[in-house]
Amino acid sequence: MDLTNSLQKLAGYRPRKTQKSKETYDKGLILLKNGGYSRQGDEGWETLEKLALAALDQGDVEIADQCLQLIVNKFPNSPRVDVLQGIRMEASEPPEVALKFYDELLESDSSNAAVWRRKASVLRDMGKIDKAVEELSAMLDTFYTDVEGWIELADIYASCEQYTYALQSIAHALLLAPQNTFYFIHYAEIAYLAGDITLALKIFLVAVDMTDDDDGPVPPQDSIPVGLTLRAWYGVKLCTRRLITEPRLVSSSASQTAAPSAAILSNIDELSAERLRTAYMNMKGESAPKAEKELLTALAVIIQ
Amino acid sequence: MASSAASLYLDPQIRDWVLFPITLVMILVGVLRHYVVLLLQSPPKKLSRAAIREQRALMRAQILRTTSANSPVPPSVYRSISQHLSQAFVDGTYLKDGPPKGDAPSAPPNPLTDPSQMDGMMAGMKTQMVMMVPQMVIMGWINFFFQGFVLIKLPFPLTLGFKSMLQRGVETPDMDVRWVSSLSWYFLNFFGLNGLYRLILGNENSADSSRDMTTPFAAAAAAPQAPQAQDFNKSFKAERDNLEFAEGLYEWVGKDVETRILKKYGRLS
Repeated sequence: MDLTNSLQKLAGYRPRKTQKSKETYDKGLILLKNGGYSRQGDEGWETLEKLALAALDQGDVEIADQCLQLIVNKFPNSPRVDVLQGIRMEASEPPEVALKFYDELLESDSSNAAVWRRKASVLRDMGKIDKAVEELSAMLDTFYTDVEGWIELADIYASCEQYTYALQSIAHALLLAPQNTFYFIHYAEIAYLAGDITLALKIFLVAVDMTDDDDGPVPPQDSIPVGLTLRAWYGVKLCTRRLITEPRLVSSSASQTAAPSAAILSNIDELSAERLRTAYMNMKGESAPKAEKELLTALAVIIQ
Repeated sequence: MASSAASLYLDPQIRDWVLFPITLVMILVGVLRHYVVLLLQSPPKKLSRAAIREQRALMRAQILRTTSANSPVPPSVYRSISQHLSQAFVDGTYLKDGPPKGDAPSAPPNPLTDPSQMDGMMAGMKTQMVMMVPQMVIMGWINFFFQGFVLIKLPFPLTLGFKSMLQRGVETPDMDVRWVSSLSWYFLNFFGLNGLYRLILGNENSADSSRDMTTPFAAAAAAPQAPQAQDFNKSFKAERDNLEFAEGLYEWVGKDVETRILKKYGRLS
């Protein structure tokens, strides 16, 4: 793993208390106790970093401190370690302290994007959303290629129901990673929330086009949509339903996206319903409910 | 030929006191050089935030442009980003020192007056010195003490073409080509030890002589500071034209996607 990647990972770190961190914690602890990390070279140090993060996740500050001490002794002045120390500070100190630490780091080296993003996330956790947005936008203005940063910005905007701004942020992420279907679906979902149904429909269809298995052994109409494709088809269905039942939405697109003609729209609507039924049959082993509304509610549970 | 080969007998002392020392000294000097270069290398200078922003502004436009033929973003968004960037390039928003004053054509900065540039060049020169000086010293040493020595006999026959390569410094027209002179042994080592250095010091070693032989100023030119010399204001102006051009090529990936999907699933023919 190269440095930029690791820094981005650290920048996006959030405590989650997952099962996985528990596992890392238990395994890493043995390694720490018998000193095995030092025999493995670079990989050992990476494990130690992971253990520190997992320990913080599990709330064991003591172990995290032990790891951190070892890492700091080995790599003084490393920006990656700085970020790690910041995360450790966030865990137990009040956010103001961590904020001050990050500010000092930025003062001495203003080009450390990871520290900048952590600062924004601390601000967000403190409830200072406006400040967080400000910092994050300033950071993205300099480090444009930070895709995760754009997604986080969009997330912040979406949490404040500023869907237009959120859409703009994700648009940048799309430009940066046009191969990532997940961002497309995210974009479409936010567009749907923003009320730009025609745009959402188009993007959902693009996502379908990207994910469905058209090189597979069966022709696309016989394939079974799963995963992201299913989610995209579900979105398509929601969009067509709303466009058909509420015709005024057709002309109220903020991005001036033209809606497909009525014939195509109903065709797409039928196709998506058929796709969703196929997926339902395949997963539940029984035929899907006849009423569209019931089908959609049942599928919503599956997709979740 | 056979009789002349048999008549030549090398004193084992030459092997012990000339052949091995030359090889050993060259290896050790290479290793030493590697560490001296490591010591001399100053860490790459950190760029200020404004400088990074300036450097990366072009990349933003490039990213936008590369996607334009099959763009993931809808037309209105694409156009607004594109126009925003091109306006910013006109206004010089991204320039490190703020928008340019007046419209006097700014001369590209002289690299010799910019202290940060000088640093990069000095670093290159220093490495060069560390490379060249020991080699000159060793060569002088060999020339002074061992001139005209024949050190070793290659275990395989060679054609006469190799004579000038293997018997430099020994001007005997009819000696067997398989005999190697001291100066030639030096050159053989000079070019042949790279594999050994790689084994001892790893792949990224600075003892490798092949690099500094080929490009005397490459170290200075390849230094990360080099791109600073370009005039960003000018490249921004050029990028504007590219942006306009890309806008003409723009095509949304979502255009006609419904019909595409319907065709794919056999609903439309």
